[in-house]
Amino acid sequence: MSGTAFDFQDVTYAYRSQRALDGVSFSVQLGERVALLGANGSGKSTLLRMMDALCFAGGGTATALGAPLSEKAFEDEVANFAFRRRVGLVFQNPDVQLFNPTVLDELAFGPLQLGWATQRVKDAIEATLHRFGIAHLKDRPPHRLSGGEKKRVAIASVIITEPDVLLLDEPTAALDPKSRADLVAFLAHGLGDGRTVIAATHDLDIIDDISDRAIVLSEGKVAADAPTLDILHDIDLLRRTHLVFEHHHRHGDGHEHDHPHGVHGHIHQGPEG
Amino acid sequence: MNEPAYGVCSCGGKKRRGLLESLVFGLIGVESHSLEAETTSVLPGLLQRFDPRIKVVALLALIIAAVSTQRLTVLALMFALATGLALLSKIRLIRLARQVWLGVFLFSGIIVLPAVFIVPGEAITHLPLIGWPITLQGLRSAAFVIGRAETAATLSLLLVLTTPWPHVLKALRSLGVPAAIVAILGMTYRYIFVLTQSALQMAEARQSRLMAPLDGPARRRLMLTMIGTLLTKTLALGTEVHAAMVARGYRGEVRLLDDFRTRPADWAFLLAALGIAATIIGARL
Repeated sequence: MSGTAFDFQDVTYAYRSQRALDGVSFSVQLGERVALLGANGSGKSTLLRMMDALCFAGGGTATALGAPLSEKAFEDEVANFAFRRRVGLVFQNPDVQLFNPTVLDELAFGPLQLGWATQRVKDAIEATLHRFGIAHLKDRPPHRLSGGEKKRVAIASVIITEPDVLLLDEPTAALDPKSRADLVAFLAHGLGDGRTVIAATHDLDIIDDISDRAIVLSEGKVAADAPTLDILHDIDLLRRTHLVFEHHHRHGDGHEHDHPHGVHGHIHQGPEG
Repeated sequence: MNEPAYGVCSCGGKKRRGLLESLVFGLIGVESHSLEAETTSVLPGLLQRFDPRIKVVALLALIIAAVSTQRLTVLALMFALATGLALLSKIRLIRLARQVWLGVFLFSGIIVLPAVFIVPGEAITHLPLIGWPITLQGLRSAAFVIGRAETAATLSLLLVLTTPWPHVLKALRSLGVPAAIVAILGMTYRYIFVLTQSALQMAEARQSRLMAPLDGPARRRLMLTMIGTLLTKTLALGTEVHAAMVARGYRGEVRLLDDFRTRPADWAFLLAALGIAATIIGARL
């Protein structure tokens, strides 16, 4: 699959008087796996919502899949339908996303809204339940699920419609280590080839697995846009954008030193680091 | 009036619950009632086997019959039928008594109490000291109101206790209830737990920082603050949920998957219920 998934040029957005995005420019090609990095309040969630046409640019130009991302364009039912069919967003808080009475209804919601035939919906539900290992949860109400189960169901409820573009907002937030590892493995290997994946996160431990390119946001601006490994090795950039912090560390042998530290682990700069 | 601190007994005997403690217990109670209903709805009982659509129509017909009957004996039989259905559906009577019968009796009893004295008729006895007459007709009127309320409430609760809530919603939609109403009912049920959890956490956070008993105005301020915060959270949650729905293709019309199956036993149950209702209403029993 080739073509441009998103093209943002000098995009701005403000919540009342507070500027959330300030002249953001970048393009994402179909099939790319991109991590949107940034500390809290850097604008990555706003950007993700804009990419899913839940809010629209106050200035600049934004296009998705070759069509303009504007309020006027999305008043057209056909354009709206075509976009929703191809782009899916997994929200950070599964309680927001899982609004149906049961897991089965949750999976059925997207396909039914897109007008799929009943048998096709049922087949897709069956396949997705098994693909995500959640068949035993199908009759459970979402509020009775654990955090990891909720996240799995939330992703399944979006993946079921097989969108070309998958947007994820903080996919590993509030997950226990096992659920986090399972999710990263799924995002790295379980989505199949050719799908565009854009994940907003500040979890540096996972981006090497789930992305090939990283866009770093800081105070609503693009601070860097480069291959993920290059970004991970640019400690000054990570420190400047509050993605790592200086950490005083003591080893068991009594040796002490300072080095950068991410949310979940150490960022080693070299043999002496 | 002083508020006893959490875990501290100020009465020298039975422990009295403070405001926050009562709130916490109440919120936990909401969860536990829901869990109980989810448990009973999948028991291998009689009503659990029926198609939810059939159950909604059949129980509604029985409720209409119960509130329409002109005879106390028929009302008593309807109540007995509801109790029998509960037993056959493995619903414990003590639970019905606790959750429905006692509350309905007290509530409707208070409302109809004056009727016992003011409905004209044959006095069967008089209240001691004040001498008000208790009339037979007044007692009959009170018995009708209480009996109808008890029977209707029991039959309604049977629907909820023997049917998973999502199936009740789907049944309502299948029976032509507007999608918007069904969606609102579904989301109310879904998010009441998220908000209950939120309220519980707020109450516990307050309770954990409460150093001294609260006086009346402080307690009222505390409650108002909590209600305000919860309302703000509700609005924020509502906006987010709408965005999540739009993101998955929602355009104002909720579509549901309807996969109910109706078997001969369902039709037999429906016919029996409709037959009872038609007989009572048609023959003015």
